[in-house]
Amino acid sequence: MGEKIGVYVCHCGSNIAGVVDVEEVARWAKEKFPEVTVSRDYKFMCSSPGQELIENDIKDLGLTRVVVAACSPHLHEKTFRGACQRAGLNPYFFEMASIREQVAWVTKDKLQATIKSKALVDGAIRRVINHESLEPIKVDITADTLIVGGGVAGIQAALEIADSGSHVILVEREPSIGGHMAQFDKTFPTLDCSACILTPKMFDIGNHPNITLLTWSEVESVDGYVGNFEIKIRKKARMVIEDLCTGCLVCQEKCPKRVIDDVYEVGMAKRKAIYVPFPQAVPNKPVLDTENCTFFQTGKCQVCQKVCPTGAIDYEQKDQLLEFKVGNIILATGYDLFDARRIPQYGYGKLPNVITSLEFERLTNASGPTNGEILLADGRKPETIAVVHCVGSRDKNYNEYCSSICCMQSLKFAHLAREKTGAQVYNFYIDIRTPQKDYEEFYNRILDEGTLFIRGKVGEITNIPRTAEEEGKLIVQAFDTLAGIQRRIPVDLVILSAALEPRSDSVEVGKLFGIACGAQGWMIERHPKLDPVATMTEGVFIAGCAQGPKDIPASVSQGAAAAARVISKIQQGQVLLEPIRASIDENRCSGCRICNNLCPFTAITFDEIKEVSSVNVALCQGCGTCVAACPAGAISGTHYSDKQILSQIEGILDPALQLSK
Amino acid sequence: MSRTEVLAHQSSAVGSSTASLSYDPDIQHCIQCGNCSGICPTGFAMEFPPSKIIAALRAGIYTNVTKSDSVWMCIACSACTTACPTLIPITELLMAQTKEELILAGNVPVELQSALENSHRYGNPMGESPRKRAEWVETVDFPVPVLDKETPDVDFLWFVGDYGSYHSSVIPATIAFAKILNLLNINFGILGNQESSDGDSQRLSGEKGLFEMLAEKNAKIFEKFNFKEIITTDPHAFNAFKNAYPEIGISYPARHYSQFLYEKIDQLKPLLTKKVNARVTFHDPCYLGRVNGIFEEPRALINAVPGVEYVEMFHNHQNSLCCGGGGGGMWLDGFQWKKTHARSSEWRIKEAVDAGADIMVVACPYEKPRFQDAVKNVPGAEKMAILDLSELLLAAME
Repeated sequence: MGEKIGVYVCHCGSNIAGVVDVEEVARWAKEKFPEVTVSRDYKFMCSSPGQELIENDIKDLGLTRVVVAACSPHLHEKTFRGACQRAGLNPYFFEMASIREQVAWVTKDKLQATIKSKALVDGAIRRVINHESLEPIKVDITADTLIVGGGVAGIQAALEIADSGSHVILVEREPSIGGHMAQFDKTFPTLDCSACILTPKMFDIGNHPNITLLTWSEVESVDGYVGNFEIKIRKKARMVIEDLCTGCLVCQEKCPKRVIDDVYEVGMAKRKAIYVPFPQAVPNKPVLDTENCTFFQTGKCQVCQKVCPTGAIDYEQKDQLLEFKVGNIILATGYDLFDARRIPQYGYGKLPNVITSLEFERLTNASGPTNGEILLADGRKPETIAVVHCVGSRDKNYNEYCSSICCMQSLKFAHLAREKTGAQVYNFYIDIRTPQKDYEEFYNRILDEGTLFIRGKVGEITNIPRTAEEEGKLIVQAFDTLAGIQRRIPVDLVILSAALEPRSDSVEVGKLFGIACGAQGWMIERHPKLDPVATMTEGVFIAGCAQGPKDIPASVSQGAAAAARVISKIQQGQVLLEPIRASIDENRCSGCRICNNLCPFTAITFDEIKEVSSVNVALCQGCGTCVAACPAGAISGTHYSDKQILSQIEGILDPALQLSK
Repeated sequence: MSRTEVLAHQSSAVGSSTASLSYDPDIQHCIQCGNCSGICPTGFAMEFPPSKIIAALRAGIYTNVTKSDSVWMCIACSACTTACPTLIPITELLMAQTKEELILAGNVPVELQSALENSHRYGNPMGESPRKRAEWVETVDFPVPVLDKETPDVDFLWFVGDYGSYHSSVIPATIAFAKILNLLNINFGILGNQESSDGDSQRLSGEKGLFEMLAEKNAKIFEKFNFKEIITTDPHAFNAFKNAYPEIGISYPARHYSQFLYEKIDQLKPLLTKKVNARVTFHDPCYLGRVNGIFEEPRALINAVPGVEYVEMFHNHQNSLCCGGGGGGMWLDGFQWKKTHARSSEWRIKEAVDAGADIMVVACPYEKPRFQDAVKNVPGAEKMAILDLSELLLAAME
């Protein structure tokens, strides 16, 4: 054979060595394979001295292959390939055996663990002998970035990238950017005004030379791969020529049609049929809602066209399909609010003064339907208010997870309600969760202000009195788990802190961009701790509530983090793609085209003249689907050849190791 | 103390089933949010509502629970179970087993004790003679076939149930359903004196052994005859046949009569010729609606009656309010009244008054007597009629 193999067995502290006899595995490998020139065990192979060990052996002993038995290749394959490369060995002459995740962490049986470790190392040695020298594929990166979603996470990401000098295309489904934060009144724990801190950023987006802002628009298709995505965006017809519109909003003022605003005002106020959702909207250019416009429905009216001083109203306007080429994508698509009607015992939708958190935000907001006055449905001021935590969160009937923001939000509600109305506020909670900076201090402040806390998830809310005191009130019935009694608290207003849920179309949106959502519907990050804004698809990043429930500071951090990742990619200029690709032997291809449709990355095309299929190496992700499907055996996967896989299987199933049980 | 030691300690202290309860994987999910005890319609009168029983189990002071009589306030309405955010089967597991512990400890109200003894001795909780179970059949002028050796085959076996067979205010509902079956030309039969209590309420009042005895008694009779399906006029029997009997190996397809009649709604509609000009509301029985998810069938039947203006009460569908009769509540009226001086049946009638109903339709034999008593005590309800679903339908036919 002539290969000189180095085998390195990692202790991983006690993670592996506590279960696997690492010294025995190292000794056995050297004894069994004549090709194994050196075999060592070491406390932490991934440490600098561990890597130097490999590098020195390559240089000193002339190793031609390296096997490391340690954790999952997911974690450190890159590390050890780097060590090989630094010592002048092609990084693909390396193989990793996972004896931590697949052995030490799944059994306590030391004997079996050692046998299985040997089997995995045996397979790795036999495989690595058959490895080929490979070079990564280099692809240029387009410097432009697509950001989907104009909430605070998307806004932050867009500004970071645009300020660094690269161009951003920011796409927003609604007529204005701003997201949920634009609906809020005050923000916890500092109680600064949401609009005051958000609108300057929105303004910057609208005026930044490096940002193309497309509101009232949606991404329709995504093709390509990291560095070279091709995007089609549907820019829905606004019926307003943006270049002509000056944002004077005379059209909105004069429009005779009033429509309930289900989005920005969450059904609590009306807007016009031609409208900007709120005064600080960016862009400050209206959208004509054709479904409710009198002219579009009856053919009569056209008031907006008549009053527009610049002739910007265009009833003939059509949707536009715009095409862009971008190198990276950030998804910041946000969340939906839980529909509290799903919990019938809370009476939402049935009892007029039971409202959701977003409705309260509008109610207490100076730009809201009551100019910030907290009023009941009949216009009275509430004297007692209940804030109900965990509505649709921490509840396996709806959402098992904690929505993370509701505790602080509910404390904020208690403060605002008390400050504005002088009402007695009761907060019904299961646990108060205030884990961020200055949050516990905020809780203390709310306690000091005199809000009363009842530890118990609310059982039900009714308007059916049992006592004179309860007449004309909403009755919140809960078990006070600390006092050990059931209590009925008569109140005037109930605020339900409803759960944050994934966008109802998050799974479809994820699919469009080639990323997956978890069981709950949140988009999945590459690593929950170490890579929270990247995804399993190279070049696609996530930020904000699309990834999971989070508050404004966390959303902003993620937006900035995703931007940093993108800027780093842009600065590299090129992206190195794994050379693990499928290749088709033209001589053996029968032209049956079975592979063409199976390829999930549309990387296989059919050559009509030669009547054979071929693989676009930049699109191919090396998944192996076509390799397995080809009836002629004409497709092989680089780094996953039959020879490599079969020799590895032979090693793992070596009867000598099975017998030693 | 290791987990095994804790187990041994607890079982020596308060009996083995307690230990199995405290380490039941379902109960370990509890996050002590108190939702169960908050939604409980009788929770205001319980020293140990569900979450507190779990807390007591965890603290090793479960004997405090078995010394208290507060668990006899539980009417097994399953409101707690439906709301529980960690999906603990509170009614079936925690409450029924705790009641069993109380029975073992001799901590049982006399009236419940006698209902359970009657069930054991006579096959019905009222202590009526088993030989009189089918006496109502003799009062009608149309055929009600009783299955026997000569006529063992039938399409549908109608399980009449205890209250439908014996209780003077429920018998008219039984007769109404029998008449509808005749009008629809259904090939049916009843078990007559061979029928025993379905046992479900005895099970949920802590007498699992008695339930099994009654179930096996019924199973022996079922085996003698050939039928396609059991139809019950009692949601508790429906729940027993659908969910509890199969757990002990007795499996027959079963439906509540509202489902059965709904399936025949096209046949029924031409018969519903007489207008019933009234505002009608429907009380969802716990074991039809909340527990078994049947909500729309009875409503569709009520709405098929000409002249009816249907109104909904505040608590409806999954969020219905119990009449107070489940889980042994039928046999604990005196005890519960003494504790609370309140009746959930009266709260319910008040809701019907608020909804403006002239008629409250029920579909469970426990409900008619309870609500008929309640209307006498609720101001504004004096003229309200409590009708079984069959009675309403029949009123539109005659």
